[in-house]
Amino acid sequence: MSASAGTDSSSAAPAVPGSSAPGTGRIRLATSLFVLVVLVVAVLFPLAENSRQGTMSIAVFAVIFMVAVSAWNIFSGYSGYLALGHAVFFGVGAYTVALMAQDWHVPAGWAIMALLPVCGVVAGLVAIPVGLVALRTRRHTFVVVTIAVFFIFQTLATNLAFTGGTGGIQLPFVSWTFSVYNERFYYVALVILVATVALSWAVRRSRFGLQLMAIRDDEDRARGMGVRTGRVKLAAFVVSAIPVGMVGGLWAYFLGSVYPQSAFDPLFDIALALMGFFGGIGTIAGPLVGALVLESLQQYFTQTFSANGLYLIIYGGLFLVVILLMPRGIVPSVSHRLRSWRAQRVDRASKPAAGSDAAGVTG
Amino acid sequence: MSVSLIDVEGVSKAYGGVQALQLCNLSVPEGSISGLIGPNGSGKTTLFNVITGYERASAGEVRFAGRAITNSTPDRVFNLGIGRTFQLTRIFARLTVLENMLVATQRSEGWLRSVLRLAGSASERGRALELLEFVGIARLASEPAGNLSYGQRKLLELASLLVADPAVLLLDEPAGGVNPTLINQLSARIRELNEAGKTFLVVEHNMEFVMALCHQVTVLSQGRTLISGTPDVVRADPGVLDAYLGDEGTEDSDDTPAPASLAAASPRVETPSAGPPSAAQPPVLTIKGVVAGYGGGDILRDVSFDVPEGGITCIVGPNGAGKSTLLATVTGLLRPRLGEIRFRGAPLTGLSPGQIVGQGISMVPQAHSLFPQMTVEENVEMGAFTIRDRALVAKRLASVQELFPIVKERAKEKAGSLSGGQQRLVEFARCLMLDPELIILDEPSMGLDPQTRGTVFETVTLMNEQGRTILLVEQNARAGLRLSTRGVVLENGTVRLTGSGHEVLEHPEIAALYLGGSVSAPSAG
Repeated sequence: MSASAGTDSSSAAPAVPGSSAPGTGRIRLATSLFVLVVLVVAVLFPLAENSRQGTMSIAVFAVIFMVAVSAWNIFSGYSGYLALGHAVFFGVGAYTVALMAQDWHVPAGWAIMALLPVCGVVAGLVAIPVGLVALRTRRHTFVVVTIAVFFIFQTLATNLAFTGGTGGIQLPFVSWTFSVYNERFYYVALVILVATVALSWAVRRSRFGLQLMAIRDDEDRARGMGVRTGRVKLAAFVVSAIPVGMVGGLWAYFLGSVYPQSAFDPLFDIALALMGFFGGIGTIAGPLVGALVLESLQQYFTQTFSANGLYLIIYGGLFLVVILLMPRGIVPSVSHRLRSWRAQRVDRASKPAAGSDAAGVTG
Repeated sequence: MSVSLIDVEGVSKAYGGVQALQLCNLSVPEGSISGLIGPNGSGKTTLFNVITGYERASAGEVRFAGRAITNSTPDRVFNLGIGRTFQLTRIFARLTVLENMLVATQRSEGWLRSVLRLAGSASERGRALELLEFVGIARLASEPAGNLSYGQRKLLELASLLVADPAVLLLDEPAGGVNPTLINQLSARIRELNEAGKTFLVVEHNMEFVMALCHQVTVLSQGRTLISGTPDVVRADPGVLDAYLGDEGTEDSDDTPAPASLAAASPRVETPSAGPPSAAQPPVLTIKGVVAGYGGGDILRDVSFDVPEGGITCIVGPNGAGKSTLLATVTGLLRPRLGEIRFRGAPLTGLSPGQIVGQGISMVPQAHSLFPQMTVEENVEMGAFTIRDRALVAKRLASVQELFPIVKERAKEKAGSLSGGQQRLVEFARCLMLDPELIILDEPSMGLDPQTRGTVFETVTLMNEQGRTILLVEQNARAGLRLSTRGVVLENGTVRLTGSGHEVLEHPEIAALYLGGSVSAPSAG
């Protein structure tokens, strides 16, 4: 959830056991500590903010988007295939929980939360045929195909008999008191977030992730090095759909109803990509930073100046500034600067040692 | 050495109308370093692509260790033990050097196992570092691969394949664009690996490199296997030289150009060919001290020559000499680092490609520049895209149609449906729509059969007789020079020879330039 976590993910992962820089161990320790602190803050946050329900509601939305962008990044960030149809999985998750609650008469409360993994599974299953079709194409065509698939699903949600059409579906009303309502949703979202980030981290470090990034850099050559590109891409696509489906379900339950226009929202597709680029795609921390900043701001502005469209201008302005100053996104830019600063420091500190070290490696 | 590891038998491959491979045969003995050479467009890379599963053969069979692998997929071919490098070196630019070394899958493990584990166990990393040290770039292990120089990328590309321990390595131009020191280092590494049991198949234009390194060499020409044998046998074969310089020409070969007398005998009436006239008449195009490259080192190092007005100037030279780069600098696609290019005395350097076209210089690029889905007429009209005056366009179109009847006859057909030779003519027609003073042709005869080639060359002469100066680059050096008033030989980024077409054609050094070392000696004796 931080710049230093991003540094770690991009530089320490391939670190060589023998020849790593002298400070690597300390950096890793510092990163772990930082992650721990962030986690503690995240867990304690509701206690401090309990009094202000507006803030808690912003936090729930922010965490939901952090999950979605992180999951999207597992596919799009690592493989370089820009998917603009992940709202399909969000919407499928939302409708799955609504339909299950309605048809199976699930009582309100924690029982519905227990259905969220099913939402993930259903979204993953939907991703298989979608991926099989869309991943036959590359680059721009792939982007267009994912958008097209998205609109097919939106149309289906509006027109199929069991979805309730434009009238949508109401979820059972939870009788949780106002003071714990946001807090409980927040913690459920946080659990999903921790799992998703762990997943993203595991992918980044596995051969699976390496193969995805090889595909991003040169797919044809990756094939020529034995990578089963078709399977790897499809697997990543399905894996990235699952958490999106889960938070889709959570989101529907949080709002209490689903409608085709909001569950299958084209702006959601774009938001994932924007937040990803804002924070820096292909890193672990980038999507977290991007979603945290942009979604919180958007929710805050909506709450504060909801009447006029002013917030959209501020939102857009901020986005422009960051992309102008840090075109690769916040996390990669900051970590690049940190690394060169650190390298300079190491260089100054160990001028005499550097010569003998280099000789040892090459000789 | 006797067992054949890779066998290619009767493989054919066609792209649209162009036959890239025709019943091609190749055999790579186990434990050998085999070379695959041939002029541009002879099908070497296509053959590599067919063997490694990147392209499908339309006929024939490919076998690896006796087992048919025809039309397999690249990942399967790799997992069987065939690794390949690419002509334009390909690495994973955003991964670190070490990560690049960890991508290749291990032959023994199943797909799921290859995916569900940490990237690079300690032993894998150790092996990767060993190999990086072997090629001499271990100290760069944690650098992003995109920061490497071109030569280092070549080394990384090779090393990253070795991780999987393939039985055969197919190298596509390992020495291309690499400095001499690195070439020696590469040869040494290839020999060492070969002694350790690896088999190699090398495509390369650097003849000295190939001839010194390979145990046997196969020559491809226009998609066919010409000859296969030891370097000495191949070098002495007159057919090989013909393949590189272009054949003697099937029709009207020796009567028109009149080689009876010496250099003075010029086929063109207007130019007496030798030195003085170019001084008397200012040249159309002056190229002076041009140094240029694409960032990976200079490809042109000090090129100077003139293009005299009203003539046909032909640039020849072996692959990689810098011919296309030179054209790119003239047409403004590449800005020279040093030197200047003048057209009718005014500098062209610094102008955009569009401005240069506006000066009256029009270029027909190397093959396939038509819009295949547009009709022939639309394609020709696109040549006059910048002209607003509809009447003028109509007038030009009429005159072009007169010169090229095909433009009228096939006006409404899609350009993609024409044969290769017909497409060339339409490309010429299109370039004439701007009424250029100087026409630049990049390999007009590429991929054409001898008869069509004859027609194309006749057309070039015809356009010249209409008063247009022509500058052409030609792989078929003999045909190109015979047609030209002036010949320029480029080698290794510098001008080696200039003179009238015939002087250059008859020059004894020409053969050596193309095949590396002396060819004339054994064949004469």
